[in-house]
Amino acid sequence: MAQELRSINLVAPAFKGINTEDSPIAQDPSFAEVADNAVIDKRGRIAARKGYDVTTTNKTVLGTGTLRAIREFRDNAGNSKIFSVGNNKIISGTTTLVDETPGSYTITSDNWKMVDFNDNIYFFQRGYEPLVYSNASGAVEKMSTLTGASAVSDIPKANEVLAAYGRLWCADVTNNKSVVYWSDLLIGHNWTGGTSGSINLSKVWPDGYDEIVSLAAHNGLLIIFGQHSIVVYQGAEAPATMSLSDTVAGVGCVDRDTVQQTGTDVIFLSHTGLRSFGRTIQEKSMPISTLSRTITKDIISLIQGETEFFRSIYSPEENFYLLTFVGQNTTFCFDVRGTLEDGSFRVTRWPGSVFTAYERLTDGTLYVGTTDGISEYKGYSDNGTRYRFKYFSPSLTFGDTSRLKILKKIKPTLVGANSATVFMKFAYDFGTSYRTTEFTVGNQNPAFYAVNEFGENSNPLSEFTGGELTNQRSLNAVGSGTTVVVGLESDINGFALSLQEINLLALIGKTL
Amino acid sequence: MTTAQNLNMNPTISTPLFQMPSVAYTSQTGLSPQQMASAVGTLPTPGGGFFNTVGGIVNDIGNFMGSTGGQQALGAGAGALAAQQAYQRLGNVGERARREASNVAQTGLAQSEFRPFTVTTSTGGMMDVGPEGGTTMTLSPQEQALQNQLLGGAGQFYGQAQQPLDAREQAVFERMRAAQRPEEQRQRLALEERLAAQGRLGTSSAAYGGATPELMAQEAALQESRDRAMLAAMQQAQAEQMQQAQLGGQFLSGGYVPQAQLIAAAEPALTTSQLAQRGQLTGAGLFGEAEMSGIEALLSSGIGQANLMGQIGTGLLQQAAQPTFVGGTSGGGGGGAGGGGGLFGSITDAIGITDSNNDGTWWSRLFGG
Repeated sequence: MAQELRSINLVAPAFKGINTEDSPIAQDPSFAEVADNAVIDKRGRIAARKGYDVTTTNKTVLGTGTLRAIREFRDNAGNSKIFSVGNNKIISGTTTLVDETPGSYTITSDNWKMVDFNDNIYFFQRGYEPLVYSNASGAVEKMSTLTGASAVSDIPKANEVLAAYGRLWCADVTNNKSVVYWSDLLIGHNWTGGTSGSINLSKVWPDGYDEIVSLAAHNGLLIIFGQHSIVVYQGAEAPATMSLSDTVAGVGCVDRDTVQQTGTDVIFLSHTGLRSFGRTIQEKSMPISTLSRTITKDIISLIQGETEFFRSIYSPEENFYLLTFVGQNTTFCFDVRGTLEDGSFRVTRWPGSVFTAYERLTDGTLYVGTTDGISEYKGYSDNGTRYRFKYFSPSLTFGDTSRLKILKKIKPTLVGANSATVFMKFAYDFGTSYRTTEFTVGNQNPAFYAVNEFGENSNPLSEFTGGELTNQRSLNAVGSGTTVVVGLESDINGFALSLQEINLLALIGKTL
Repeated sequence: MTTAQNLNMNPTISTPLFQMPSVAYTSQTGLSPQQMASAVGTLPTPGGGFFNTVGGIVNDIGNFMGSTGGQQALGAGAGALAAQQAYQRLGNVGERARREASNVAQTGLAQSEFRPFTVTTSTGGMMDVGPEGGTTMTLSPQEQALQNQLLGGAGQFYGQAQQPLDAREQAVFERMRAAQRPEEQRQRLALEERLAAQGRLGTSSAAYGGATPELMAQEAALQESRDRAMLAAMQQAQAEQMQQAQLGGQFLSGGYVPQAQLIAAAEPALTTSQLAQRGQLTGAGLFGEAEMSGIEALLSSGIGQANLMGQIGTGLLQQAAQPTFVGGTSGGGGGGAGGGGGLFGSITDAIGITDSNNDGTWWSRLFGG
């Protein structure tokens, strides 16, 4: 007697992102075991990430180096100027990179942090006299050379700087990692007069000792991240009278460049994963939610293995928070539109990431820094080079782990992926030897209104496409096992790809 | 022994009025009687007596008067002699008047001399007023001890008042600060705890002198308190200095109270002494006036005697110049003497000395010879 095919429909597979923490058998099919170079698209589907398009055409200044930081400076008149650092230089420009390093100023490290404050952009790095640029001067200058600036010896050569509440805040000075300094009101180069000051946290740390890693401002609070603890001050608008609001012991920040403000929250990377401050208006306490619970072990492993530096960016336009382990060429993409039941973000991974710097411009454009200079996060190729999108489901049991499954059909539904070759893969019983079947998605060049399909003088003048290309295939499968893993791979080379669903048809066999 | 001392001021004169003292004297002019005599004329031999000499002269005159020419010559000589004697006597009378007045003055000086006296108070203090007017005050032992204590205390207080104020100011300031420090320390600890609870213990703001506003306010308050304490210490030290000066003044004033009281107690005695002195001076004045009156009387009598003698001399000279009449009497000397007696009887009658028996003893009666 023939058995009925059982259908397992993976609708919007991996729309919950990667989950490497839970057992593969017990996992929700909405998770993914692998989601490389993927994002959660606007419809909640897993999709290929965008690539980057290099803007820089002349990167002589950068040489073979890579950009370590990018910052858009907007003066009070609304003028914009892009600064970046790399190759031990202060650089400006996007197409042609220009060396802005002051004369007689030697730089041997590019771990700068730049902040835009009161018509100036400030450059801070541990052990270096801060640099300042303003349109008025038209050049990057040493801070001590400015009129009204404090003496060099009085200017904190800090690694972390924050522009908030009308002044600059800085911390993490060589041999002094417990003091937060603040400048005079609206004068970022005056650190000794006016209402400037400092606070020593050596007597405040909840664990007795810690070192300041990063600073953040949120909702009238000054958040001071230590390596293993967090101290929150309220009333930072008047720093001389600000008082302790909350302390968090056991949770700190890994690196200053992992802290991002989302407008309603502050996201940072702790030693156990990505975390955020959830703001509660009514309550004074500061609950902390874990945002990377589904990849905790992975991210800890990457944190511990990082030898260079971290970079992160929050893009409300892309709805993601990117966290890059530069030394390991890995980027995690956290979708910030919502959280899962356990409070974590949906996360995908971008392996082989070459992004070394990020900057979101005022207009929402996302700049990324690479060895090619400044690039824009857009398109679906990495500067003309394809990249592979991967999806692998968790181990599927079809509701019964003890019975044999005989996979008969795999029916993926793809959106986009114009002319892309798609590799469908499946494996049984936690095996890593995948059976692969491939197909090519049809070609559908997009046609737009008033744009000739075949050239400027072609006939017909225009042709209208039917929207997004949707491709459904039915692929035969072979083999059997108690668990099944289904995967999909495709090189992204110019076109978006979204995985709408995967429908599996299988026979349920005997109990093993 | 001076003349003044030898002068007997007893009004009863036992010796003849014109009996010269048998002792030598030195007048205030510094001349001896012989010198004075040679200056005014021949003086009688000392020891013989002036009136003996006059008696001799009268005898001689009597003898000479036994003859007619002699009687005229004698009359002329006796008259001249008497005039000369009268002249000399006037001089002697003046000298004696000066001498007697000097004696009276000496006596008055002695009588008006200040007489020492002593005042003794009921508390044992004594004030001795010496002959020269010097005053010696002696306090009783108790008063002296009290005075010593008070004056010693005054010196001590004045000494303290003269000490520099710096050390005292510092000492007062330290005592005030010692009283303030515990509360200040409590306030500091409370603020430190508050700042620690607020996580602001390490806050340093340039606008607040490198501290928090609370810490700066507290330090300002403490500084103000210190300033007030410093000013209060200065004022206290000055007040103490003033007080010590006042105490010194009070002690000093008190130290002289026994003496002042002794002087006050001596006031009645001084009044009494003045009364006695006044009586003494009055008595001396009366005495001097009385003595001077006697001397004046003596001078008057001496002058009168001299005038008398001068008149006698004048009369004799006038008789000698008139024509001589011869009487029935015999005998030269006897007659002379008798004649002399008759002459002198006339003289004595003329001057009021009765010589009715004509025995010529009127001389003795008159001069005590």
